[in-house]
Amino acid sequence: MSELANAELGRHGSIGLPLPAGPEITPRVRAAAIVAVVGIVSVAIALTANRYWLSNFTQAYCIVLAVLGCALLYGELGLVSLCQWALVGVGGWISLRVYHSFHPPFLLTLLAGGAGASVIGMIWGLPALRMRGLYLALVTLMLAGTFQTVIFVTSFPVGGPGFLGQVGASGNDRVMMARPMFAASDVRYFFFVACVTLVCIFLVEMHRRSKPGRAWALIRKNEQMARAAGVRIVFYKAWAFALSGFLCGVAGALLAGLFGQLDGSAFPATDSIVIFIGALLGGCDVWLGSFLGGILTHFIPALLTDLNVDTNIGFMIFGAALLFALRDPLGIGGQLAIVGERLYKRLAGRLYKQWQRQQVP
Amino acid sequence: MNLLPFVASGIGLGAVYALASVGLVILYRASGTLNFAFGAFGGVSAFLAWQLTRAGVPAPIGWIAGIVASTAVAYGYGRVFAPRLAHRDRVVRAVATLGLALFLLGAMAWYWGVGVPRRLALPTDIDFVALFGVRLSLTRLVALGIAVAMVGGTGLLLNRTRIGLAMRALASSRHISGAIGIPVVRIDTFAWLLNGMFAGLAGILFANLNRLDPGYLTFLVIPAIAAAILGRLSSLPGAFVGGMVAGLIEALLIAFPDVANLRSAGPYLAALIFLTIFGAGYGVGARE
Repeated sequence: MSELANAELGRHGSIGLPLPAGPEITPRVRAAAIVAVVGIVSVAIALTANRYWLSNFTQAYCIVLAVLGCALLYGELGLVSLCQWALVGVGGWISLRVYHSFHPPFLLTLLAGGAGASVIGMIWGLPALRMRGLYLALVTLMLAGTFQTVIFVTSFPVGGPGFLGQVGASGNDRVMMARPMFAASDVRYFFFVACVTLVCIFLVEMHRRSKPGRAWALIRKNEQMARAAGVRIVFYKAWAFALSGFLCGVAGALLAGLFGQLDGSAFPATDSIVIFIGALLGGCDVWLGSFLGGILTHFIPALLTDLNVDTNIGFMIFGAALLFALRDPLGIGGQLAIVGERLYKRLAGRLYKQWQRQQVP
Repeated sequence: MNLLPFVASGIGLGAVYALASVGLVILYRASGTLNFAFGAFGGVSAFLAWQLTRAGVPAPIGWIAGIVASTAVAYGYGRVFAPRLAHRDRVVRAVATLGLALFLLGAMAWYWGVGVPRRLALPTDIDFVALFGVRLSLTRLVALGIAVAMVGGTGLLLNRTRIGLAMRALASSRHISGAIGIPVVRIDTFAWLLNGMFAGLAGILFANLNRLDPGYLTFLVIPAIAAAILGRLSSLPGAFVGGMVAGLIEALLIAFPDVANLRSAGPYLAALIFLTIFGAGYGVGARE
């Protein structure tokens, strides 16, 4: 029985239809599926989207990373983190700071943003090392609120002097962060972001399927049990926060690269809440959930803007979506993943039987 | 610098914060739900009151309609959504109310718009009392009176009535309360009603004392939560004192223009500090 079906069985008691017998879904098949889905979606977007939508889908992919980090914490450890968008801001700030100080190659800037945000994420997650639940949700929400004000006042570095890197009020001597040489055009940058997203999805999948994932599963089940089994709880919890922070930091650096600069007013606490809603809506247990959830999180407001509809309607949609998403732990991504799994088994099973028949003389 | 004027104006504000944090604590104690939508309930009430008053309806009817509306929203949520989530973690129930808050915020911002300078005028604004050399509007004193009366009334309700007994029973154990025949859902809904009523009143007062803005009123829940944490989310006197402290801090911060830019981070920071001091070992998270 596949892992997903097991998860579903555990939650709902029974699923309607038994999975058709067929070849198991091996890690290789899963990896191929990830590459295929992200690849096909990205190519389709690049072929059809105009400038407005291309820029918005590039942003959506960055948000996929933030959602991935949020879903990791909630799906694996049951921790509600409401400061993911603030961490994206932290990553963006650090990468802009590093860029304006040293002008390193873009990939180094990206890693610096990721590493910096992962350290901050770990520090922000410290309360959770002692306790989970409502307490962490409150602490992270307060952090997001504090960050919102602080970043609005200090804003992001634009190549000026001093640590904050601000220039005068005129803003004429703002320096933009350059995109990497190989991804200077909008389409190329979009594919670059898609590749980074793919790498990050694999990074999370690797964690889920190896030692950290097993440790997280045990911690989530029962902390005492995990400790008795020799799992280093503090280490693995901190690891989850670091990984989630890293993903957000990379997203921040990618956004900084997309626009060349970031705006201090673009990181309100409400957006951190919306990221969490996106993670829930997509489903926190499967990569597909984060991918779709992240895209939806950005797509809905962008669509409303495109249609000249008040963007506040977006808040209404997300608010209502949260109330319903909380009751469906699988999310859109989880449901689709099950459908995909079933389809694959049926198709591959049929092919396998045909092949067997041909072997018999 | 003479800080007394700021203290004087902080008392009125503190009273409304006290009202809000007591409203939060009543619900949290009875049903274990931390209501992030409290501020949004208040917003609904204040906006409706403002709209009706502008349309020529007598002011008291407008206020009552506002409070009734916020109570109705709270009742609807407490009746329809809250019971379906009752068996989940405290954090899931709290996050669900965040969804409601976002929904109401979006609706208010869509219908009434953001960033419009607006205030809800009350007839008590004109009269004032001189205290410490400052003109203290009657509204602030009325707010203080209402807060003290409501908190006192709630204390009596909890300690002297049958329904208060049931609410206290729910606070100690839902399962046992259910087993001995207390109508858990009905008591829960009653707690939501009280919560909505407190929110409606606090919303109208805040919209008068500060401003009438969807985002501002929705996120008022943060300082109110900070104040409630000071009372460990369970003690009514603690929440009352916490609210007064929150109001005083906010009023005193106005006296220091150097930090004016960062002032809106104040409630978040205060809540963070309170959480680390009071929330860590016991109280907020320990009852999970």
